Order: sequence, then structure tokens, then C-alpha cells
Amino acid sequence: MDYLYHILIIALIYSIFAQSLNLELGFTGLYNFGHIAFFGIGAYASALLSLSGVPIPVAALIAIGLAGIAGAFLALPTLRLSGDYFGIATLVFAEMVHLLFLNERDITRGPMGLPNIPRPDWIGTGVTSLPLLLAVVFFAAAVTFILLRIITNSPFGRSLKVIREDEFVAQALGKNTFLIKTKAIVTGSAFAGLAGVLWAHYITYISPSDFTLQETILVLLCIVLGGKGTHWGPVIGAFSIIFFAEFIRFIPIPSEYTRFVAPLQGMIYGFILVIMMLKRPQGLISESRGQRTTNA
Amino acid sequence: MTGYYTQLIVNGIVAGSIYALFAVGLAMVYGVFKFINFSHGELITWGGYLALMFSSPPIALPLYLAVIPALLLTVGIGLAQDCFVFRPLRQSNPISILIASIGLSYLLRNGIRLFWGSDLQSFNLPLSTGIIFGDIYITRIQILMVLSALLFFSILYFLLTRTLLGKSLRAVSDNIELSSIMGINMRKVTWTIWILASVFAGSGGILLALDTSLDPMMGMNSLIKAFAAVLLGGAGNIWGALVGGLFIGITENLSVAFISPDYKDFISYGLIFILLLIKPRGFFGIAGGVR
Repeated sequence: MDYLYHILIIALIYSIFAQSLNLELGFTGLYNFGHIAFFGIGAYASALLSLSGVPIPVAALIAIGLAGIAGAFLALPTLRLSGDYFGIATLVFAEMVHLLFLNERDITRGPMGLPNIPRPDWIGTGVTSLPLLLAVVFFAAAVTFILLRIITNSPFGRSLKVIREDEFVAQALGKNTFLIKTKAIVTGSAFAGLAGVLWAHYITYISPSDFTLQETILVLLCIVLGGKGTHWGPVIGAFSIIFFAEFIRFIPIPSEYTRFVAPLQGMIYGFILVIMMLKRPQGLISESRGQRTTNA
Repeated sequence: MTGYYTQLIVNGIVAGSIYALFAVGLAMVYGVFKFINFSHGELITWGGYLALMFSSPPIALPLYLAVIPALLLTVGIGLAQDCFVFRPLRQSNPISILIASIGLSYLLRNGIRLFWGSDLQSFNLPLSTGIIFGDIYITRIQILMVLSALLFFSILYFLLTRTLLGKSLRAVSDNIELSSIMGINMRKVTWTIWILASVFAGSGGILLALDTSLDPMMGMNSLIKAFAAVLLGGAGNIWGALVGGLFIGITENLSVAFISPDYKDFISYGLIFILLLIKPRGFFGIAGGVR
């Protein structure tokens, strides 16, 4: 039962992370391959602040804000780039952030990571705190879901979709596409920061190796599998992927073969990404395109 | 003290010629098919590991012979990528192709980990004696690296400018639809591009593995440098890729003299960022096209 709580918490954190990327990748059509950087910034900022004595809610809010500011910092230079170039710039940005975590040893303790990240007193520690933690994470995920739903269904959300479909049309309609895209990235980054904050205080230990390209691919898989540009897609994707990963642990495998499990799992993830693109690029749930778009 | 800087520049040229080998394949694929192939990095890694497999027991071919089946298999992987993934996706939207190539790269990388494990591996070469010119120290393998890059680029130059196949390659990268209307054999051109990209990546990977060591992430790490080289040279431009590769190699090695070596990669990544900011089309930015 405690284990189930653990899986649910991880899946919910990933669903927040996946939803935040979905705002950029699914709704706005920005190929952000460096989204893990904001997850990492949120996690590190909140962990460092709370370790140095700042109250946790304050630390969390500052961390989310910092992730958003970092998003703006990334958006301003890179948004002038189109498609593929933007993808590379974001990928490189994430690698640079990773290198900073790794090498600024005075601040981040480098590869040794940050242990003993505190949790709020009223949640407590150990197994007994799990139901309460689950409630908190569920609340955060629900808030994320509702807020992103409101954002994407608003006129602003429709502008995002127009930009995704054809940026020139959006410009011709008088939209400041640069500003709109910047807002999308800042919002997405802040929510990724929220996911990172939850992760840091739940796991209570973070190190630079938690924030690599590997995690970006995992979250990309969550979105692509569930259905990009939909509200439930990333949530369903995150739950499927996390439950699949945890399910694998229960398959009885002779100990001499255990070293093959992780690579095989990775191969399966890669294979799913390729097959989804070939056979069902819209994902498990396809985006409803409304009544007015006739497919004739 | 000047010897120290000269040594760093020599190291930079060695690293840069390998980056150029990686970058040119990336640039050719981009020039014709207009997508960034993330799984290009895995051709590098597979080249290195396959050479290791053929040169160690139970097969234990001498290294110069082991290179041949290794490169053939790398070409096989490159062609299979096109045949099973990129050709069926050719008409779909760019993001699908990009995500598919990321998935493919992840699949192939974990394939390496499955067969050879995640640990560092290296060729059991006898400790090669370096050659010393004045203040500069260089190993035989490093000389081989630079010479191979020169050889490969000369062959490519000859192919592109002196043969009919090269002419059709240039035509296709200029305008793919018009070329197929004009009756250029698209299948032949596609195959040539993937074979060239795989051979360049595979041999670069083998040379890099001989010089340093093998690990499953080597392709991905070099790929980012190769991206930088392509960006510097202008996407789809082969000569730009060569100059770009050398520039990246020299810059990151020279940076060691001024900043902590831990930040060597940071420098080349930062360079990509700055380049994208000030010159998004590269310094030799001939819009589109292998020239």
C-alpha cells in the first residue's frame, strides 16, 4: 500500500511536468527539448533555499518564480529561431544548466548532490507521511490541470494554437507572436519548476544526474504517448509510463539478467516513440479540432 | 609558454577534424531532408563499438581489417534508419520526424548498453609512442585522425564536384521536388547520402574510440559539438561543417588555458547559444544546399 502511494506520487509529479511541457510542445508547437532544465532549477532552488533556513512554502514560491524567470531568459534569445534551431538551442541550454549543477561545487556540492532536503513539519517524515504527501501532490496536480485548462481554453490559448498551425496567420491577425510564445514558455517553465520543487522535497535528495536528457526523453514520451495538445493526454501518458516502469520491477528476473533490464526498458521507450510517430502521431487521445474544421 | 598554446591548438585541430567528420553527415542529411537527425550520434557510437567487437575475441581480426565489417554494419544501420523510419515519415510534419529520430537514438543507445554494458571500454592497443616536434606532443592515432579527415573531405569534394552523382546530390539538396521531376534517381541519391553519413560517422567514431575510450554516451556528446559545427558553418553546407568543426575544436581546447577544464563543454555549448543569437544562418550561410 505504501508502495502504491509512492508510485502515485511519482506519477502525479510527472504528470505536472508533462502537462507543463505540453503547453509548449503540444499547444504552441515549440519543440522544447531542454524542459528538464526548469525542473532542475525548481528542484535545486527550493532545496538550497530550504536547506539554508528559508521556510519551505516561501522557498517553493521563489523556486517556481526563478524557473519562470529562467524560462524568460531562454525565450528571449531563442524564440527568434524557428523549429529545429529552437530545439537545439533548448537542448544545449539544458546541458549547460546540467554542467552548472555539476561544476558549481561550492553551491550545489557537484556530483555528490544535496541530501536531507527538509519537508514541512506538518507533513512529517517516513512512511506515515505518505498519504498526506499524496494529498499535497494531488492538489498541486489538480491545480496545474485546471489552470492549464483555463489558459488553453482562453482566447490566449487559441492564439497559441494559431501560432502552432501557422505563425504568419497569427501575425496577420495582429497577434504579437513573440510575446505570446514568451508567455507560453514562462508559464510552462514555472509549472516545470513546481514539479521540480515537489520532486526535491518528496525524494529529499537531488543530484545533477537526475536532470539529464534521459528525463527529457521520458517526459517527451509521456506527452507523445498520451496525445500532445490534449488536456488528459500527458496525464494518461505519465501514469502509463510510471506504472509500466514500476511494474517491470515485479517481474521475477534471475539476478544474472538484471543488468539487461534498464537497457531493455530504454529500448522499449525509444521503440514506442518511433512507432507512435509512424502509426499514431496524435497519441492515444487525439486532439479534438472542433466542429468548424471539416476534414473534407 | 607559446608551446603550451600551440599544443592546445594542435589538440583543437585533432578534436575539430573529428567533429567535422560528424558534422558533415548531419549537414548532408539536413541539406536534403530538412531535419536534424538526432540518431546520427548513435552511428558514431555503433561504429566504435562494432570495431571493438570485431577486433576482440572471439573474432579478433587485426584492427585495420575489423574496421571494414564495422563500417559495413554501421552503413546497414544508417540505411535501416532511412528505410524503416525516415522514408515512411518523409511527408509528415517536422516535429514527428524530430521526435522519431530522438526515439531512434534512444533505442540504439540502449541497444549498446544491452550488448556491451554502460562502463567505459577501450581498445587494448599497445601504448602508442607519441611523436615530439619541438614543444608539441602528438600520438600516431591523432595524426591518423587528421589525415583521415583530410582524406574523407577530399573524396567528398571530388565526388560532389567531378561526378554526375555529385551533381545530382547538389541538385537534390537545392530543390528536392524539382530534381525528382527532372528525373534524378531519388533512391540512388538517398542511399548515397545515408551511406556517406554513416561511413563518416562510423569512421569518426572508431578514431575517437582509438584516441580516448568508448562509452554509450560518446555519440550524443559529440553530436552536440557537431550541431555546433553545422550551425557555425550554416545548415546544409559541407565546407562550413569542416571549418565549423575545426573552430569548435580549437576554441574549446584553447578555453582550457583560461577556464577550468570542467567547463570545456560549457564553452562549446555557450558558443552555440551566442552563434544562434548573432548569426542564426552561420558564417557561411548559403541558404540550404550542399555546395
